[in-house]
Amino acid sequence: MSVITIENLKKEYSPKSFSKNKILALDGVSFEVGEGEIFGLLGPNGAGKTTLIKILLGITFPTSGGGKLFDRNLNDVKTKSRLGYLPENHSFPNYFSGEQVLYHFGKLGGMSSEDVKRKADEYLNVVGMNEWRKIKIKKYSKGMMQRIGLAQAMINNPDLIFLDEPTDGVDPIGRKEIRDVLLTLKSQGKTIFLNSHLLSEIEMICDRVAILNKGLLIKEGRVEDITSTDSFAFVTSELNNEVYNSLLNNYKAVIQGKTNFLVPANNLDEVNKIIDFLRSQNILIQSVSKEKITLESKFINLIEHKL
Amino acid sequence: MELLTFISGIIREAFAKKIILSIFIFFSLIILFIVFAATNESVAGMLTFLEASGGNADYTSAVIYFESNITSKIPMFMMIAFYLIIVSSFIPSMLQKGHIDLLLSKPISRTKIVIGHLLAGTAFSFLSSFFLLGIIWLIVSFKTSVWHIPFLYSILWFTLIFLVLYSFVIFIGLLTKNTILNILINLILFFPLSWIFYLLNMVTKKGEQFFSFNAATEFVIKFFYYILPKPWDLADLCENTIKQEALSSVQPIITSVLFIGIMISLSIWYFNRKDY
Repeated sequence: MSVITIENLKKEYSPKSFSKNKILALDGVSFEVGEGEIFGLLGPNGAGKTTLIKILLGITFPTSGGGKLFDRNLNDVKTKSRLGYLPENHSFPNYFSGEQVLYHFGKLGGMSSEDVKRKADEYLNVVGMNEWRKIKIKKYSKGMMQRIGLAQAMINNPDLIFLDEPTDGVDPIGRKEIRDVLLTLKSQGKTIFLNSHLLSEIEMICDRVAILNKGLLIKEGRVEDITSTDSFAFVTSELNNEVYNSLLNNYKAVIQGKTNFLVPANNLDEVNKIIDFLRSQNILIQSVSKEKITLESKFINLIEHKL
Repeated sequence: MELLTFISGIIREAFAKKIILSIFIFFSLIILFIVFAATNESVAGMLTFLEASGGNADYTSAVIYFESNITSKIPMFMMIAFYLIIVSSFIPSMLQKGHIDLLLSKPISRTKIVIGHLLAGTAFSFLSSFFLLGIIWLIVSFKTSVWHIPFLYSILWFTLIFLVLYSFVIFIGLLTKNTILNILINLILFFPLSWIFYLLNMVTKKGEQFFSFNAATEFVIKFFYYILPKPWDLADLCENTIKQEALSSVQPIITSVLFIGIMISLSIWYFNRKDY
């Protein structure tokens, strides 16, 4: 079941000066996010990621096109009680303490006083902010604000959580803790829509990603599919000259060292032919694996080719 | 539920920004002044003034005259201007980047947010007027032994006058997102603009024996007089009520309520279309 459906979404911003052209923030973006997925939205600065999240949440309105959340129109206020949101550069009223932030936004999210207190206790522990709960948030560091922001996004037990740069300003241990929280939420069947610049994190936890550039959707799919290549990596015993030349000339191999090389292969038959050849030459095979590139490399390739 | 939480959030903000404390101090000073001003000598002075004006004055009417002076135009202007200055930051503060995003992601409609601001303003104005004018009434009544209940109706008039201007504060706040600009525009609208057209309208009605405007000028005066807020006319009606006189005209009430309705409708319309 699709939790988010976006169809041909377009957003133009009118410039304040009459002489300038309109700015196209989103240009006909369409995709779906399924229930229980962690979905990552990637793109360079100004690609339209935050605009897309804001449209989904009814904070900004699309110029054309539209979408649905839980099969309801985007501007349906009732749907919002099923959503959680951590904005980028969020600004909570600084006269609140950590727990007051959760009480206030939990009740704005439609929760009863009893529920909000119970959930606040739970999530303050989950994000490691229990000791700081009574302290005014103006005393908090950036990382602590992110933790409280994350607890705020989860307080109403939402089915769909939008997180815009959730690990911004958080130390590596905190980032790991946040990743663990997200994976726990996923195991509970929650859908998470994640917008982050930290591609290594996206790669670690996301099921699927979409890459935006200048308002256009340039790639969308499962993380494994996006990061996989048509090559297989071999690790073997030391290659002799004859094998070496044969791999270069007959199998178009890319030699990476005396014991490892890459071979382009579209199917398992081709891989097995290479294995047979190596075995016939008394070369010992240590491992054969599908070659992958990092999401970051793929992202950079895609953006540079499209720029 | 969400609306109540939203309104309580505004009141909490007023506490946190020391707005309630400022009001308490400002009003306490006014009350202190009244404690010293409301003496038998000052009432006797009023009595002499009323007798000199040719009226058949008694002690009670002198007390009522004293009370109507407390809620006359100049003190009213000071009080409302003070209110406006301190509440003008509410909308720009709500529209801060990072805060408005969070608010709009919650299951509370944009229409309810505007209505919530109006209700919070009404409660705020009513309670603070109740505090100030209620205590003044008690002081004057204890000191003079004249318990003149109609003076308390001025609380409702002050609330209405505040609402007329606060509805404009909401609209300008949404348009400009700027506290200082909001205060300036509102003070200009309140004083001198509405004051000028109040006076000009008085002249067109009562000044015919001295001079008269041509038809076009009179039309312009009437036009602006009717579309602008009428705090000064409402202050006149407040005085009518305190003195237990018939209201001089209900037109300012109707046009003021219409003004509130139009400003809030425009605010809702604009806020429902704005990207944040």
